Amino acid sequence: MRIKTSRFGSIEIPEQAILTFPSGVMGFPASTRYIVLDHDRDVPFKWLQSLDEESLAFVVTDPVLCKPDYQVVLTPDDMADLKLSSERDLAVMVILTIPSDDPSRVTANLRGPLIVNQHSRLAKQMIVREDHPTRYPVFS
Amino acid sequence: MLVLTRKTGEGIAIGPHIRIVVVEIQGNQVRLGIEAPPEVAVHRDEVYARIVDENKRAASTVSIPVQALVTLKNLRS
Repeated sequence: MRIKTSRFGSIEIPEQAILTFPSGVMGFPASTRYIVLDHDRDVPFKWLQSLDEESLAFVVTDPVLCKPDYQVVLTPDDMADLKLSSERDLAVMVILTIPSDDPSRVTANLRGPLIVNQHSRLAKQMIVREDHPTRYPVFS
Repeated sequence: MLVLTRKTGEGIAIGPHIRIVVVEIQGNQVRLGIEAPPEVAVHRDEVYARIVDENKRAASTVSIPVQALVTLKNLRS
């Protein structure tokens, strides 16, 4: 299908790649459908683009690249929300904040990771119990 | 909003599985003890607010400064 985005124009995406966030991303409840876009292959960052609001997109990455021992512990409710039966289908991403005036101060939100069931394509933003920062410096 | 008055050591029950107890009161600070099943997420409400705030900051990113980040990565490695 074809989608409109404010950053990347009109793009073609495979429908089976759509991720559904039934509760949205915190603070953005109106956007429930997203797609991961993998444009910039020189850096391990991807875009999580909303299909419901063309101007809404987040830069995301694999948290282990920021903090090698990073782990999330899912509650039975998290597993049920994602219809996740095996952790094999689980993918974890974290949202990055990149200050436009100084990209060296890019931070990762380790407190509110995005968890995805790669099989059902259901996803949610969770709050981890550990006291991880919402602004973890990626280049520390 | 339901408002209840409790003394130190007293608590409230929410449903059959959740109990909140006033552990200590000191000046304008209250220490609360919370008993809840592991599947119930309990967070200070400012944690949720902080994540919403950070999501809003993150959503204002216009582009990934690839060149700057690659240079930075090369410098650090």
